Amino acid sequence: MTAAPLLEVTDLQTHLHLRRGVVRAVDGVSLRIEQGEALGLVGESGCGKTMTSLSLLRLLPKGSGAVMQGSIRLDGQEITALSEAEMVHEIRGKRIAMIAQDPMTSLNPVFSIGDQVSAPFRYHGLARGGSALRAKAAEVLRRVRLASPEKRLRDYPHQFSGGQRQRIVTAMAIACTPRLLLADEPTTALDVTIQAQIIALLRSIQQESGAGIILITHDLGVAASLCARIAVMYAGRIVEQGPVREIYKRPAHPYTRALLSAVPRLGAPRGGRLTAIPGQPPSLLDPPAGCRFAPRCAHRMAACEQYPPDLAIGPGHSAACWLTAKG
Amino acid sequence: MLVLDRVSKNYDLGRRGTVRAVDQVSLEVLAGETVALVGESGCGKTTIAKLVLMLERPTGGSIEFEGQDVTALRGASLKAYRRQVQAVFQDPYASLNPRLRVAKIIAEPILAHERPGRAALRRRVEEVLDVVGLPASAASLYPHEFSGGQRQRIAIARALALRPRLLVLDEPVSALDVSIRAQVLNLLLDIQGEFGLTYLLIAHDLALVEHVSSRVAVIYLGGVVEAGPTGQVFAAPAHPYTRALLASVPRPDPDYLLPDTPALGEPASAIDPPAGCRFHPRCVQAMTVCHSTPPSPLPALPGSTEHVAACHLLEPERVEATRIPA
Repeated sequence: MTAAPLLEVTDLQTHLHLRRGVVRAVDGVSLRIEQGEALGLVGESGCGKTMTSLSLLRLLPKGSGAVMQGSIRLDGQEITALSEAEMVHEIRGKRIAMIAQDPMTSLNPVFSIGDQVSAPFRYHGLARGGSALRAKAAEVLRRVRLASPEKRLRDYPHQFSGGQRQRIVTAMAIACTPRLLLADEPTTALDVTIQAQIIALLRSIQQESGAGIILITHDLGVAASLCARIAVMYAGRIVEQGPVREIYKRPAHPYTRALLSAVPRLGAPRGGRLTAIPGQPPSLLDPPAGCRFAPRCAHRMAACEQYPPDLAIGPGHSAACWLTAKG
Repeated sequence: MLVLDRVSKNYDLGRRGTVRAVDQVSLEVLAGETVALVGESGCGKTTIAKLVLMLERPTGGSIEFEGQDVTALRGASLKAYRRQVQAVFQDPYASLNPRLRVAKIIAEPILAHERPGRAALRRRVEEVLDVVGLPASAASLYPHEFSGGQRQRIAIARALALRPRLLVLDEPVSALDVSIRAQVLNLLLDIQGEFGLTYLLIAHDLALVEHVSSRVAVIYLGGVVEAGPTGQVFAAPAHPYTRALLASVPRPDPDYLLPDTPALGEPASAIDPPAGCRFHPRCVQAMTVCHSTPPSPLPALPGSTEHVAACHLLEPERVEATRIPA
């Protein structure tokens, strides 16, 4: 028997029941992440990437009428069946941790870095007493390569640069050596040279700790630089997933292909027109029946009225598009 | 068309010192071309844009537009200059007044300069809406009724309303989604061809800059470190900072390995920039001279006149010293 995958998500649905109607933010997402694997979840804003990661932590916004269905198994354990108390003590921060999106707003400006970074240790009872907590905080800050952490524990977030804050937020996420890290656009707010440093950091954390990573990003370049597998999301569904090489060299879904050709690349000939994708993503309040990309797709056909199933293309590579069915 | 000669802009912070936001920047923009300014946040790109738009006055140096020094302009002549130079900003959610209808938004710059009749005004609004690919019916709607890409089209229409000659594009697509970016970018390229516009593009996305600009200036902490024809700068970057920037861009290519440390540490502050070459604390090739003496622009390759970089590594005696003996 082979080892259970780190995470297996089957037909995850997160619908927000609002007065205006039902927003199908996540609509039948299935994912599988092996132990220590990095998966890139790629898509545009509003496609459901962040709602997917919040669903994995069962941290859906209160009062949004969010209803979640489907199965989420972490190391073979079904976590949708756990109570809120079990989520709090066993899962969140301990086995699945999240690196927050914007390091400028996710740190509390009125608490020192030492307080905030030692919070996960205090909360999960991994250290007791001021000096033990400070030592733990300094140690984890050293792991994210923050210079002279002992001296900076008393400093406040505004005394750090954007890159340093991203390192601090990352330190809080890896504090309890989680099995799975959810990194939601961890580099979007950063400059490219700093972004490269953070990507290198995430790569070394993955190698050192063996944690799996879900990297949520809209940047195909960032995803390619860290992830072994890629899942492309569009309007609440995964339209294509597979090994990174397959996705970038042999994209099968028209949306993936369009995304890849819509961004200018370094070294490409100058001045040519980019292949724009006409129109804009559908509202998730009332998504089109059938394939959600069909209204913008150049290869639309009659079959697209029905939502295509996930069709295998190669080993571990599948796409939800009728074109692949015809071969 | 536009010539910046050793332009500087300092902001005095009183006791806390002086921010040297732009320091001795020289730049030339020819009619009909696209010149790009690239650099990381806080390097002074946007300040240069504000200086060109005359929203800020330089502390030193001169800005000439078609042979006329615009830094000395006041009153009516300044207004006449602004008519020819318009801007499109990054965030179309912030740059459009949510309480005005699109027709009013686009008519505002026209009414600031002219007194057209009501019918003529409506015709002109509809004309520019058509240029940016929006229906005439858009004129009676409010900004919130449009998506991000459409809002950026409205911002472009407003910039075009006065039929300017130069457009300052400050990160025109970076707030937009990937699939929408290409639409807006293609529109900007079409408009440039159709009206013979000149663009000063400010961007941090190097692939975008390579795609659309004819010449590029790389800015670091307020100063130009390398400038030249885009093709030459990107094919053979001469300054270690340019090389670090280019190496740091993640590429949608699984075979490209991102280097671990393209540049050390983080940018210094513009309040108290490092002595000598401002990049030396981050430079992997820094020498003793870089700590004390600011480098001056030198040809990036022997004999090249257009492609220049400000780096001590390019000084002839050093090139000689580092050459491996045959």
